[in-house]
Amino acid sequence: MLQTAFNGFVTGIIVTLPALAITLLFGVLKFPNFAVGAMMTLAAYLVFALNVQLGWPLVVATAVAAVAFGGFLIMVDYLTFKPLRERGSITLMVASLGLGFVLENIARLGYGNTARSFAIELARPFRFLDIRMNREQMIIIGVSTLAMVAMYVLLTRMPIGRAMRAVSDNPALALVRGIESPRIIRWTWFIAGMLLAIGGVLIGMDRALEPPMGSSYLIAVFAAAILGGLGSPLGAFVGALIIGIVSELSTLVIPPNYRIGIPLCVIALILVFRPQGLFGQPYIRK
Amino acid sequence: MISFLILISIVVCFSAILALALNFQWGVGGMVNFGLAGLYALGAYACALLMLKAGMNTFFATIGAMVIVAVVCGVVAFVTLRVTEEDYFAIVTLGVGEMLRLVALNEDWLTKGALGLTGIPRPLGDLVPPEHYQYFMLGLSVALLLGTLWFLNAIARSPFGRVMRAVREDDVVAATLGKHVLWARVRIFAIGGAFIGLAGSLHAFYYQYIDPTQFSNIVIAYAFMAVIAGGRGAHRGTIWGAAVVMLLLEGSRFVKDLIPGIDSDQLAAIRIIIIGVGLIMLLIYKPQGFLREYRLQVDLK
Amino acid sequence: MSDILTVSGLHAGYGAGDILKGIDAALPEGKIITVIGPNGSGKSTLIKTLAGLLPVRQGEIVLAGARLNEMSAPKRVMAGMSYVPQEYNVFRNLTVLENLQIAREFMSGGRAPKKNGKVIDDELLALFPELPGKFRALAGNLSGGQRQMLAFACALTVEPKVLMLDEPSAGLSPKYMADIFATVQQVNARGVSIFMIEQNATEALRISDTCLVMANGRVRLCAAAGEVLGMQDLHSLYLGDAREQAALV
Repeated sequence: MLQTAFNGFVTGIIVTLPALAITLLFGVLKFPNFAVGAMMTLAAYLVFALNVQLGWPLVVATAVAAVAFGGFLIMVDYLTFKPLRERGSITLMVASLGLGFVLENIARLGYGNTARSFAIELARPFRFLDIRMNREQMIIIGVSTLAMVAMYVLLTRMPIGRAMRAVSDNPALALVRGIESPRIIRWTWFIAGMLLAIGGVLIGMDRALEPPMGSSYLIAVFAAAILGGLGSPLGAFVGALIIGIVSELSTLVIPPNYRIGIPLCVIALILVFRPQGLFGQPYIRK
Repeated sequence: MISFLILISIVVCFSAILALALNFQWGVGGMVNFGLAGLYALGAYACALLMLKAGMNTFFATIGAMVIVAVVCGVVAFVTLRVTEEDYFAIVTLGVGEMLRLVALNEDWLTKGALGLTGIPRPLGDLVPPEHYQYFMLGLSVALLLGTLWFLNAIARSPFGRVMRAVREDDVVAATLGKHVLWARVRIFAIGGAFIGLAGSLHAFYYQYIDPTQFSNIVIAYAFMAVIAGGRGAHRGTIWGAAVVMLLLEGSRFVKDLIPGIDSDQLAAIRIIIIGVGLIMLLIYKPQGFLREYRLQVDLK
Repeated sequence: MSDILTVSGLHAGYGAGDILKGIDAALPEGKIITVIGPNGSGKSTLIKTLAGLLPVRQGEIVLAGARLNEMSAPKRVMAGMSYVPQEYNVFRNLTVLENLQIAREFMSGGRAPKKNGKVIDDELLALFPELPGKFRALAGNLSGGQRQMLAFACALTVEPKVLMLDEPSAGLSPKYMADIFATVQQVNARGVSIFMIEQNATEALRISDTCLVMANGRVRLCAAAGEVLGMQDLHSLYLGDAREQAALV
């Protein structure tokens, strides 16, 4: 059982990055973005191209791809969501659904449906306290933790982070305090893009690289963000770990194929009974 | 060629019924149903199973499917009555739809999982000779489509419908009317659900074989595109929208002939990319968008 | 004495019709002007249009020689205008210190914090004695009066030429109300011109130089504040209910 909990912890920690991306995007843009799964997929394939096809080391490939992908998302936002900014959140959600189709299938178009993997050295798994862990999982935990720490510093100590939290808290007030929302929006997409790219690579390390890889995590990512409270970065982190661990542990009692039922139920229950999640603020839609 | 057009038209018909149901639940009830794909699957599977396992004939199986989907929709609406935010409701319905598809995929004993159900009977399949069947099916589909249109329009125009629409646009009114409104929402969602069940049944009859892959989220994309392309609220417009969308998309199958050397996986990917881009462009360039947002823009500041 | 802020023929609104139907107003530099009027007269719409939250349909807004019409709200802050909304005027999920920092930090054009590393002059901060002790508290956890003070202080960190206040005393206890108006005077004494809309008109007019009376989207009267205070027939209609205030105490 400890093994299952550990696996759940790893899954959860992978989910923290995209959950944070969703919560940041929701805070600033005010709508749930269904394209994040496909975004992770596309970013992962970009890293694949650099890592396997061009032969770059995985770390370098990821770093370069993360920055490039951040820029890419700024462009995507400009083309897709910016024209729809004034429309309601349903329109934006539907657009994000469409965007998800496009991005996932660009990956499929380029690389087909066969599963791939990154070029990393094989290493033997080791045992710790009776739990089997492999090198990929250790890297995943390390990278995620680093990313989380970096995000914490960004959000609490740096001006851009404060500005993002301010816009998230009260967009109209941010305007009259001199904060230009287009700038903040661009930064938010850039940061989200980096988080999603890293998240995509982690998924590719944990599972395999195939077109549905990102979307298969979509429900879990949303559940994590919603459980934690949409708009709360701390919530995204805590929510992701809870979802990951509980989902894995649930396989001990329910058929494994229904593992995804847990995040679904969480989503439904939270939205009905406590929409602000654990740490969120009830959003006042004025 | 004629054959192709007839077959396409049949598909347009039940896709249009699906789009009408979405338009009804959203336009009159203010409830966006992102779980459309899953509920559509539920309708198709319910109809098929009622015929294959319970031995019902096509008529009763259809009714049964409609009732089942209506009940599920009603229950969902009831449980989520308290969720007043549109987009949160949409997410919950998405979850429900995904759950339904999960069940279809995994409950092998019932649905044969990924293998799907074959040999689904058709209405009057034994009576009408095969060479004429497509005409019959077309006639039946058109009749059902028109019936759906008439019925949903009648409700939308009735005093009940008008009150619901007024309530949709003004939350304060909704709050004061309280419980009555909430129950009305349940009824509307359920009625829409019944027609989703009808569309699902027709889908099962047409293809005579169903499996979970037929009910992917592309279904939602189609339905939304039809609703948007048709313009806001007007039910008739939705039908035209469905026709246009379906023709464009089925027509894109011919892309394969234009570009040599791409395999079927890639073709499928290209078609979905076209759908996605088409959906986004429709949203950007079709100014009417959704009913509610008109109001939203005015009230925003 | 020139006018730091002039409004000419201003039209604005939310939907089909105009709420503001041609407003003319002028704020001389270093003075305080208060706009009063019944609910629905358009006071709120006026201040929001000046701040940049509503587009100008007709007319002009000029601040220190610069035409504000096309400028977005953040750019108007850079031009020297600072606005304190009536409600939701602090970032509740940020701390007091962060609230103060943010106005200068991320302004369009980005002004750096002041030379001594502080975002707000010690002198100015001295006007808000309750704040320094609460730098680490979340703004949402402050009392109503403290939040108002914080909102006020934040608006001052950008060193505005014109400070616009939207019903600064709304919902405050008498103690805080007196404090707010005292602070307004102290801020004005430091050279900031003030544009205020108020419901508690009597108190506001006592510290103002000019008064503008609005009704139905138009200016009905523009006169010295002292004169308006003396007008008996305006008292019950436009000066807010002095009797209600008395009943509260």
